Amino acid sequence: MKTILEAIELTKIFKTGKIEVAAVQEVSLKVREGEFIAIMGPSGCGKSTLLHLLGGLSTPTSGRVLVDGEEVSSGKDAVRTDIRRRKIGFVFQRFNLLPTLSAQGNLEIAQEIHRNGSRNRKHVEEILNLLGLEKKTHHKPSELSGGEQQRLAIARAVINRPAILLADEPTGNLDTRNSMVVLKMIQELNRALSQTILMITHNPEAASIANRLIEMRDGRIVSQQQDGEWNRAEDRMSL
Amino acid sequence: MRSLATALAVGVEVALILLLVSLSSGMLRENSKRISGVGADIVLQPPNSSLVLAASTGAMSVKIADLVSRIEKVRAVAPVYLQLNTSGGLGLVWGIDLESFDRITQGFIYLEGRGFQGPNDVIIDDIYAEGRELRLGDEVKLMNHAFHVAGIVEHGKGSRVFIPIGTMQELVGTPRQATLMLITCHQPSDIPQVTAELERRLKSYPVFDMSSFAAQVEEANRDFGPIKFFTNTVVFIATLIGFFIIFLSMYTATTERTHEIGILKSLGANQGYISLLFLKEALMLGGLGFLLGLGLTFGGRLFFQWLMPTLHHQLPLWWLLFTGFLALFSAGLGALYPALRAARQDPIEALAYE
Repeated sequence: MKTILEAIELTKIFKTGKIEVAAVQEVSLKVREGEFIAIMGPSGCGKSTLLHLLGGLSTPTSGRVLVDGEEVSSGKDAVRTDIRRRKIGFVFQRFNLLPTLSAQGNLEIAQEIHRNGSRNRKHVEEILNLLGLEKKTHHKPSELSGGEQQRLAIARAVINRPAILLADEPTGNLDTRNSMVVLKMIQELNRALSQTILMITHNPEAASIANRLIEMRDGRIVSQQQDGEWNRAEDRMSL
Repeated sequence: MRSLATALAVGVEVALILLLVSLSSGMLRENSKRISGVGADIVLQPPNSSLVLAASTGAMSVKIADLVSRIEKVRAVAPVYLQLNTSGGLGLVWGIDLESFDRITQGFIYLEGRGFQGPNDVIIDDIYAEGRELRLGDEVKLMNHAFHVAGIVEHGKGSRVFIPIGTMQELVGTPRQATLMLITCHQPSDIPQVTAELERRLKSYPVFDMSSFAAQVEEANRDFGPIKFFTNTVVFIATLIGFFIIFLSMYTATTERTHEIGILKSLGANQGYISLLFLKEALMLGGLGFLLGLGLTFGGRLFFQWLMPTLHHQLPLWWLLFTGFLALFSAGLGALYPALRAARQDPIEALAYE
C-alpha cells in the first residue's frame, strides 16, 4: 500500500515569553492509502497540534511531514496552502461552514478554490442529494441542524477527492443520534471510496470504527493498535 | 448596513466632485454663451489685460472707441467696463453706454420697463430677476451702491446685470476708461480686414474674433489658477475621504471575518484568492458608491436649480468617467492593506478567532 502521509520526528514547541511548551515531541507516523486512523488521548496531549502540523496549517519546530510525497512542513505559506488545496480535506468540531453562503455555496467555494475558479454545479447537486440535503440547497448553515452542518462540512472536505481527510473531533458538537449519522458517513467514505482518514476523537465508540488506533500522551505517541487488537467496531457499536 | 453606509459615503465623495465640476463648468459655459450672444464681431482689450475677465485689471480710454469707429468697414463700437461685484452675490456687472451697446446687440428685448433713466438705474435679465425675486423699481445693492431696477430684459446678452458706464467709472474711480471694446463690422467678411487694421494701429492691444473670444475666455477661466487649485483641492480631499472610508470599512470587515478567512485558508485558498475577495468587495462598494453619487449629483442639481435658478450646470463626460475612476481607485487603494492583512492571517489563529 502506498504511503499517503508520513510524519518524521515531528516536534512542535510553543514559546510564551521564556517558557517553552512541547506540544508534540518526536512523533513519527505513516498512514497508508485507504487507512482509517483514530487518534485518542486526553485534552492537551497534542492531538490537535499534531493534526494542524500534518495538514500544513502550522509548521513544526523540527521534523518533516510528507503528504503524497510532497513536503507540507516547509516554512513557505504558499507551498503549504497549495498542498492543502490539492491533497488535504479538513473537518472540524465547530463545522466551520461559511455562514453567509448556502449549503450549495459552501460546496461550490471548495470546488472553486480547488480548481482555481471553476465550479461543477451538477456534482454539487449530486452530493447534496446523497446527503439528503437536496431540499436545503439554498439554506444557510444557521438554518441547518448540527448533524446536517457536519455532514455538509464532510462533503465539502471530500468534494475534491483529497488524498487524506483530517477530522478534528467531528462528533464533538453533536448529540448521539447525529454522531452516529456522521460516523457512519465517515466510515462509508473509507469503505466505499477508500478515502484515507485520520480522525481525532475523545469518543471510544467513534475510535472503534477506525482500522488503527493511536494513543497520545504529553505530545508523544504512546501506543498503536491495529484493527483486531481491540474489539472490532462492529461488536462495540452498530452504526 | 455598514456596506450601504460605506457606499453612501463614497457616493457623497462622488457627488461632491461632480456637483462642483458641474456648477463651475455650467457657469463658465453659460458665461461663454452670453458673451457670444452680445452680437459683436470683434473684441478689443487693453494691453496687459486678462482673458479671465473677472480678474482683469487693464483699462483703456473710451476715446479709443472714436478711433476704432473711424476705421473703414466698422459699423459700431461700444465701450464696456466690466467689474466683479461681491455685494449680494458674486458676479460680473457690465457698465455700458446703452446707445452704443444697443447698436452692437440690436437692442435688449425688454420684458418689463425700459432702459436707464438715471445714473442709479440697473438693467437686469429675467433669470437674475427670477432668482432674486426682483421687480421694477426694486433696490439692488451692487458694489456697495444702491441701484433701482429700470428694466428686465431677456437673458443672453453679455451679462445679467448692466449699469451706466459713467456710474461704473465713478464707482471704480477710473473716469472715461473701459475694459472692453465691442465692435461690429458691416459684413462678416469684413472681420479679417478690420482685425488686421486694429492690430496695425493698436499694436499692444489684444484683438479677438468674437467666435474665438468666448471659447478662450471659457478656457482661461477654467485654467485660472485659484479656480483650478480650488477644484483640484476639493477633488483630492474627496478622494482621500473615499480612501479612508473604504480603508476603515474593509479593515473592520477583515477583522470581523477572521474566522471565515481561517476557513478559506483551511480549504487551501491562497493569499491572492483572499486578497482578491476583499478587493472585489471594495470595488463593488466603490462602483455602488459611484452610482449612488450619480443619483445624489442629479438630485443635488435639481435642488440647486430650485434654490438658485440662475445657476447653470454642465457635466463634461470625461469628468464623469474620471470621477468613476477615482471612486474605484480610492476603493481599491483603501482595501489594499486590509486585503493583504487578511491574506497573511495565520490559519490556526484565524480559525480560533471568536
